[in-house]
Amino acid sequence: MTRRTSPYLILAAATATSLVLGACGDSSDATDEEAAGSGGEVSLTVATFNEFGYEELLEEYEELNPGVTVEHVKADTADNARAALRNSLGANSGAADIEAMEVDWVTEFKQYPDKFADLSDPEVEGRWLDWKTEAVTLEDGTLMGYGTDIGPEAVCYRADLFEEAGLPTDREEVAELLGESWEDYFAAGREFVATSDAAWYDSAGALWQGMINQVDFVYEDADNNVVATTNPQVRELYDQVLAASVDDELSAGLGQWSSDWSSAFQEDEFATMLCPGWMLGVIEGNAEGVEGWDIANTFPGGGGNWGGSYLTVPAQGDNIEEATKLAAWLTAPEQQLKAFESKGTFPSQVEALGSDTLLGSTNAFFNDAPTGEILAERAEAVTMMPHKGPKYFEINTALQDAITRVDVDGTDDPDSSWDKFVAAVEALG
Amino acid sequence: MGATTTAPPAGALPPPPAPAPTPQPGRRGRGRARLARLDSTASPYLYIAPFFLLFIVTGLFPLVYTGWVALHDWDQIMGKGEFVGMENYVDVLTGRGFWKALANTVSIFVLSSVPQIMAALLIAALLDRNLRARTFWRMGVLLPYVVAPVAVALIFNNLFADRFGLINLLLETVGLDPVRWHSDRLASHVAIATMVNFRWTGYNALILLAAMQAIPRDLYEQAAIDGANAWRQFWSVTVPMLRPTIVFVVITSTIGGLQIFDEPKMYDSFGRGGADQQWQTLTIYLYELGWTRADFGMASAVAVLLFGIIVVFGVVNFLLTRRIAHDDGGRR
Amino acid sequence: MRRPGWIVYGLLAAVVLGSMFPLLWSVVVASHDSTVLARDRFPVVPGGNFFRNAATVLDTVPFWRATLNSVIVSTTVSASVVFFSTLAGYAFAKLRFRGSGPLLVFVIATMAVPTQLGVVPLYQVMARLGWTGELTAVIVPGLVTAFGVFWMTQYLAQAVPSELIEAARVDGASMFRTFWHVGIPAARPAASMLFLFTFVATWTNFFWPFIVLGPRNPTLPVALQQLQAAHFVDYSLVLAGAVLATIPLLVLFVLAGRQLVSGIMQGAVKQ
Repeated sequence: MTRRTSPYLILAAATATSLVLGACGDSSDATDEEAAGSGGEVSLTVATFNEFGYEELLEEYEELNPGVTVEHVKADTADNARAALRNSLGANSGAADIEAMEVDWVTEFKQYPDKFADLSDPEVEGRWLDWKTEAVTLEDGTLMGYGTDIGPEAVCYRADLFEEAGLPTDREEVAELLGESWEDYFAAGREFVATSDAAWYDSAGALWQGMINQVDFVYEDADNNVVATTNPQVRELYDQVLAASVDDELSAGLGQWSSDWSSAFQEDEFATMLCPGWMLGVIEGNAEGVEGWDIANTFPGGGGNWGGSYLTVPAQGDNIEEATKLAAWLTAPEQQLKAFESKGTFPSQVEALGSDTLLGSTNAFFNDAPTGEILAERAEAVTMMPHKGPKYFEINTALQDAITRVDVDGTDDPDSSWDKFVAAVEALG
Repeated sequence: MGATTTAPPAGALPPPPAPAPTPQPGRRGRGRARLARLDSTASPYLYIAPFFLLFIVTGLFPLVYTGWVALHDWDQIMGKGEFVGMENYVDVLTGRGFWKALANTVSIFVLSSVPQIMAALLIAALLDRNLRARTFWRMGVLLPYVVAPVAVALIFNNLFADRFGLINLLLETVGLDPVRWHSDRLASHVAIATMVNFRWTGYNALILLAAMQAIPRDLYEQAAIDGANAWRQFWSVTVPMLRPTIVFVVITSTIGGLQIFDEPKMYDSFGRGGADQQWQTLTIYLYELGWTRADFGMASAVAVLLFGIIVVFGVVNFLLTRRIAHDDGGRR
Repeated sequence: MRRPGWIVYGLLAAVVLGSMFPLLWSVVVASHDSTVLARDRFPVVPGGNFFRNAATVLDTVPFWRATLNSVIVSTTVSASVVFFSTLAGYAFAKLRFRGSGPLLVFVIATMAVPTQLGVVPLYQVMARLGWTGELTAVIVPGLVTAFGVFWMTQYLAQAVPSELIEAARVDGASMFRTFWHVGIPAARPAASMLFLFTFVATWTNFFWPFIVLGPRNPTLPVALQQLQAAHFVDYSLVLAGAVLATIPLLVLFVLAGRQLVSGIMQGAVKQ
């Protein structure tokens, strides 16, 4: 070390330090001021996760409303978005002006009604499917969120693999083959795996999501008492899905969202998948270059909804009024239709469901299937919304773990894995 | 945010230079002497004050306060609840989560420290030779140190992927079965330990190299005269002389190793340590309790227990060091 | 001393190759598309897709913001650690004051204290101050380290001749003036190493930034975690992110690798 450093460099660094620390303070003070001034410039943040299809819409909103700037923060996964939101509610700061929330954990946040603005407004009444709105309405009539999309489920399939196995490939014929009930679906699967090297579906965990979303009360009863481990229906479905997955070898044994799962789309590993609307984009992304995907207008056990989200406005924000306006605009039928065209998120608005844009839309990757029409029909088949209490998300995570241990990891048999699930639920308190 | 008011600007912290000694007629002699005395008694304390203040506020206080939080029902969002005494500890110690995470942590620690030190020793011995382009080789082994653990994890996740991973491909090429890196508990520990070893082996090799170079060369000459070959010299001269340094390396990696978080957190895309907790370590368990289940009370209890475990490991190591250092002193 | 034979060089070359391989592999995978590993399980030649992947990374996570954040945090923390450590180290090494012995023992003892385990209350403090999600929450707890004080104390004890200090004092220089003109110049070599190591440690730090910053205002490691957690697990993308995030420290390594090596050999322990 021969180069000499001036002592002033250290001083300069120290000064820089104070400047940086000061700058942090200054900049946020500035935003506070901006926020306080109601007439002039407003800047809003919108926090979403995965793909909401809002990129162009937010630009459009800025153009329509001079003086409003919108920053879009995207979390990678719903899990991370949930954790980030929890953190900012706990800290009473740091939440975005609009926070997206998934249906599986919206009830958890209904425990903290004071933390959110009441969005009820006669103007938006009747905008959404009833069951969509009920899930975010509190007893006193407070509306905690505006519905964005829903996840009506169909079945996606690989026509090329069906053909190799000697099964029909045409959409309508496949729908017929898959039948009405889960047993029909599994029976078709047994027929398929008898002649094919591929599995019938990707993951037992995915099937589980399809199954429990058809049950009124899964893990918690109407008073939110935890019944997950005693509810006979849970154990029956658990045994059924694992018997089909492991004993009948219908499952490819891939943990959904794992890297193995993603890479498996490039190989001929499984022939069908449960397909909520938003899954179409996921398949297309993972299966880039693979030909043969199609979608059948049917779902085992009737209709089913998997996922879908809401926009909420945390009470800690400085621009509740402006934020509510933006949330209402984003979740209006016209905008959600554009989001659907951009990312395939299926609208939850009554008016959007009957629109020609939706019904006329087709998807090239899925063999030009009329996805809009199919999913709209699948949405009509959804008649109920399962009750999801405050512990739903964590209990479901524990049950997904139990299924993964048997289906993917093979560390347990169904019984020992169930015991671990029971212990995990008890530990939740 | 309030940073401007609460955080003192760093530039303001060093005591201002004492007034320049401009001659002041009259009382200059006495005044200056008193000022100089104050300067020399107070200055040292002013110089060490920033460290102690900041350390106490951001390091020591939170650590101590953890013990207090652990005695309460404490929700992340709702804040402090009732005083519950030892209930959080009982919940933690009677659940299987804690014990499994503890076993995983120790297993990963052993898998990452033992082979690492062996490899570091050998690399150091190679570097200790009279090499051409010495600096090049030393920098070469240090390269992984500048790759962040998170980036290391991303890269090794790809190499250890169950289906298309390079390592399973190589195993299959030589006729072995692919390893289920994410299902099998021990296999996952090996993979995670490999990430740790990748990053730190070269670093530790350089520490050991420095110690090796301090060994008097006449010890080797003596051994050579006694007929010991290079391998024997390594085991009978080098390794014993390095023991204090080895123990030092072990202690530092104990403190860090028992808190391992980055690599297991990144080992799959969920970050929860596996469906069967195969690679969930204690810090991941702590994070899960505190930030996923919002139970700050139980998370704090885990922190206190982990602190105790680290202290126990540290004391054992310290006693070991003392004994070995003693032995050494006798020989020198 | 005899020059070693080719076996030694061969073994060392293997070790160095092993250190470089994961990075080289990442560059190769990152320059293809997502299907490369399924198609060609051992790609050796880089493809032409790196910049497209890099662009997608920049699109998926706030990469530039994360880089800027990492630069701000690492620079500030390192500068602060160096300054305060030099100040305290100088006092411990060269000034006589009551209680200096026990206080130094305290500093040394705290080097072994896993302060990371105070995360829960520290998080609550940051939440109370409204700093969660702000860089200050990462910067302030990093402003001092016990190791830094210990390192500078050790160095200054042998680097600054006490006579020089006495001479300056006899000449009537104030304590701080003496520190500035005698202590700081002597401290420079050790200080620059301390800066380097603190910089690397802060840059690569994940646990606390991950907890307190969250995905909205991340540092680089936090952004990388987001990249991997994203649903579309695309190896070529994820590894492109890993490569991009490593470039700044690789540049540092090329410029200052020599100093890192000698720093470690002089006893800079890992933090």
